[in-house]
Amino acid sequence: MENLIKDGKLRFVKKGWKPFDFQVDTWRAFLEGKSGLLNAPTGSGKTYALWVPCLLEYMREYPTDYRKPRKNGLRILWITPLRALARDIQLAMEGMCTDFEIPWEIGIRTGDTSTSDRAKQKRSAPECLVTTPESLHLLLSQKEAVNYFKSLTTIIVDEWHELLGTKRGVQIELAFSRLRATNPGNLKIWGVSATIGNLDQAREVLLGPTLFPGSVAIKANIHKKIEVISVLPDEAEKFPWGGHLGVKMMDKVLPIIEKSKTTLLFTNTRSQTEIWYQQILHAAPHLSGAMAMHHGSMDNNVRKWVEEALHAGKLQLVVCTSSLDLGVDFRPVDTVIQVGGPKGVARFMQRAGRSGHQPGATSKIYFVPTHSLELIEGAALRSAIDKDYYESRKPLEKCMDVLVQYLVTLAVGEGFIPDVILQEVKQTYCFSSLSQEEWQWALQFITTGGSSLGEYDEFSKVEIIEGVYRVTDRRKSTMHRLSIGTIVGDPSLRVKYLTGGNIGTVEESFASKLTRGDVFWFAGRNLEFIMIKDMTVLVRKAKKKRGLIPRWGGGRMPLSSQLSILIRQKLEQAALGDFSDIELETILPIIELQKRWSIVPDAGKLLIEKVESRFGHHLFIYPFEGRFVHEVLGGLVAYRIGKLAPISFSIAMNDYGFELLTDEPIPIEEALELDLFSTTNLLEDIHHSINESEMARRRFRDIASIAGLVFHGFPGKTISNKHLQANSQIIYKVFEDYDKENLLLKQAMDEVITLQMEQSRLLEAVDRINSQQITLMYPPRPSPFAFPIMVESLRERLTTESIEDRVIKLQQQLEKFADSQG
Amino acid sequence: MKDSLEFTLLEQSLVLSIHKSIFWKEQESLIVSDLHLGKAGHFRKAGIPISSKIHTEDLDRLDLLLNKYQPKRLIMLGDLFHSDKNNEWEAFSDWRSQYQNLKITLTLGNHDIIETVNYKKINVTVVDELLLAPFFMSHHPTENANGYNLAGHLHPGISLKGKARQGVRIPCFYFGEKGALMPAFGNFTGYVAISPGQLDKVFAVTPTSVITIQ
Repeated sequence: MENLIKDGKLRFVKKGWKPFDFQVDTWRAFLEGKSGLLNAPTGSGKTYALWVPCLLEYMREYPTDYRKPRKNGLRILWITPLRALARDIQLAMEGMCTDFEIPWEIGIRTGDTSTSDRAKQKRSAPECLVTTPESLHLLLSQKEAVNYFKSLTTIIVDEWHELLGTKRGVQIELAFSRLRATNPGNLKIWGVSATIGNLDQAREVLLGPTLFPGSVAIKANIHKKIEVISVLPDEAEKFPWGGHLGVKMMDKVLPIIEKSKTTLLFTNTRSQTEIWYQQILHAAPHLSGAMAMHHGSMDNNVRKWVEEALHAGKLQLVVCTSSLDLGVDFRPVDTVIQVGGPKGVARFMQRAGRSGHQPGATSKIYFVPTHSLELIEGAALRSAIDKDYYESRKPLEKCMDVLVQYLVTLAVGEGFIPDVILQEVKQTYCFSSLSQEEWQWALQFITTGGSSLGEYDEFSKVEIIEGVYRVTDRRKSTMHRLSIGTIVGDPSLRVKYLTGGNIGTVEESFASKLTRGDVFWFAGRNLEFIMIKDMTVLVRKAKKKRGLIPRWGGGRMPLSSQLSILIRQKLEQAALGDFSDIELETILPIIELQKRWSIVPDAGKLLIEKVESRFGHHLFIYPFEGRFVHEVLGGLVAYRIGKLAPISFSIAMNDYGFELLTDEPIPIEEALELDLFSTTNLLEDIHHSINESEMARRRFRDIASIAGLVFHGFPGKTISNKHLQANSQIIYKVFEDYDKENLLLKQAMDEVITLQMEQSRLLEAVDRINSQQITLMYPPRPSPFAFPIMVESLRERLTTESIEDRVIKLQQQLEKFADSQG
Repeated sequence: MKDSLEFTLLEQSLVLSIHKSIFWKEQESLIVSDLHLGKAGHFRKAGIPISSKIHTEDLDRLDLLLNKYQPKRLIMLGDLFHSDKNNEWEAFSDWRSQYQNLKITLTLGNHDIIETVNYKKINVTVVDELLLAPFFMSHHPTENANGYNLAGHLHPGISLKGKARQGVRIPCFYFGEKGALMPAFGNFTGYVAISPGQLDKVFAVTPTSVITIQ
């Protein structure tokens, strides 16, 4: 084996490269037949760490004639979370094959693969297939799946940290449980992950109980120095509002771009990307031609062009979203700017790491707050990086929707025998605690529709033929194949010029509001809406200067628990008068006003503020736990106060706290006496409060779609689903009324608590609150802390300027009032 | 709390019920729209498990209304049966046979695709439109010179907003200048928010009462 490794090194040297230690370590473990997880950042050469041993192993197998083409069958599956990356990976692999003189074919199998290519791959499998979790499941839905995978020796999952903790990760677990069972013997599984808090668990979940023992963890010791520089406003507004999305800081941002060679400017949403692109172009017209935009709704070809131009060093600036978090390294990038709180340390680090590729170089990342209070996040991020704090990605448990989809996938393919599959499924982390009842429910759900006698007659989906569960109806098979996957978005429509040329996609809900002649900004262009035809939005270039900005769904990321802890620490620091962080010093005026009207809570206090305004009666509570925890806590508090007096509240939140608003006085003093945050009946009360809110229904939207209850169809593909339209809301209600025991309903409820945040995090938050002294304050007006929460709900709907004007007016009124108070 | 509300329109007395029906006193007729019976069965055939109980309850509610108002005639403004025939059609036929003396008229809707001979068999009169002065009834909302239009099809609902960002959306009856919209009767239906003009009348339907909105 050492000779083999030497050979591999030699071929590297021939290219003028020197393999890193972690690469060689990985080769060795791989060739010993081990499975494992490689912890390496994007752009570190991780592809070669795992691809080279695939080739070396083959050379070991055919020492004399590995140069000769032969029918090897599919040996290697390479799974990537982003299909856009597949092509780059393929190129890198092919290059290596040439260097090693191995005549392998590398195929790509993603949603973009043409029907003819698929047919070709089916007839004669390439040696390696680069694919996504969804396409892997599609392969499992083929009639000869087991046969197709019979020569498989290795599965590699790239960017596993992106998949872990998502339903796509569960898809991986399920697919692997099948492949491990059908390929006993020497199947290896490898993952590549950026640094997260639970790397060992990540490896365990990926490999499963048979491969985990004896597996290895390899860490690429590429330590990068990261410097966080907060971009500070000249004057901190006392009533922070993020409505301008940070563009007020343009004057400070442009010089940074000007003095850099290539800058990546990350924003948190696609809409924000559009706005920043537009504003920069407006403020610095000379950048036109040297700047581009990149986000997930833009056309693939345009995105590819941007990536290539970036790679080639032709661009000075790219405004982007998380769509550029992953992928090929962009060597020319020397500056990264993050607009708005990144909400998590790992994500921030990943973005920071996109710059400074020269060995020993420091990665600089500029943080631009969208409002002054967000500066605390800048200080917190710096501490996090100093202390090596990383978030964990908690793997999901018991996703019945994904299980149901998987079972139908198998039934569409070769069919399955329940006892066999149950054994395999129980080997996954996600379903290791699946009970017999739950399993039976899933089988019933796909075969008879439900347990109640007679209520589900004529149900037809999966049939049992001599003990084998199968789907025989072709139409149903096709519909299922089209629905495989767990990413559920609003149905989207293609945007196309009338004269031809794809631009990207917008959500139907946005498109449906457009009328002829409306102008909107999209992909950095000003477009005039003409009409919707065949699921396509037809547009032409607009002459008008101003336009609407499309909004895309997909919630904002909540603050991670790591970062919220640090933010609380920073606040405590400020409460005690320590302003040594430049960020805290900048927001001193806010802190002072907050102290004058209310308090800045230290770790021992939970602050509650009660205020009356012309909008109604407000209650602001500040646990500083992130918006998801706040949403649930808000529901809980509303429910518990509601038990004292029948009041209905509307709830708004941000990452720092939440607001209950109602049109009648709130008996908070009375409620506090009765112990609002008591742990008695806590989960029960939370369940009640979730029931009364939209939270579970919102979660059910995805669940219904994944479990095959709602069929969306696809952009451009008009599949007849006549008379089968029903939105998930209706089905939710039907289940609530007639099928209360449905496990998908239960899942929706559980997901609010667990997926929305880890249950433990909620309980920890409640425990912490209970250890704190509750401090109820009555500020004369909404305090600086309260203001951003108050406008949050307005901001949600911020589509017309009148609302923006209203917020600014409100802001000015409060400033004036604060000044008048002296 | 009132589970019905009387409303006078063109000198006719209309009783709007929380069960989403109108009882037209002068004509002793009960009017409902958009039952979408058989929809659950249609979904089940496609592999989406929806209990048939949902339609049993639709028919139970119809029983309740027929007992209460004792109409001579039942008028259905279309989308009686959701799609192709299935076992739930048999259930409806059985239900129909209990009311031998009740005249049933259906103004055909876009979902009513089964052969008309089926309606004949169970003694349901099928028409495209129905003129019963002063009303002109149809499934799709339309304007007609001979009468004020009563229609279904749209499944109207209304968003109610209060102070302090409070808001709910519920089904409603809508009476405009030229015509009215009935809420969908069927349990397995949703609703679409309408935006009424200032002069229009809107009555929202809650589980316990019919409320005048404007």
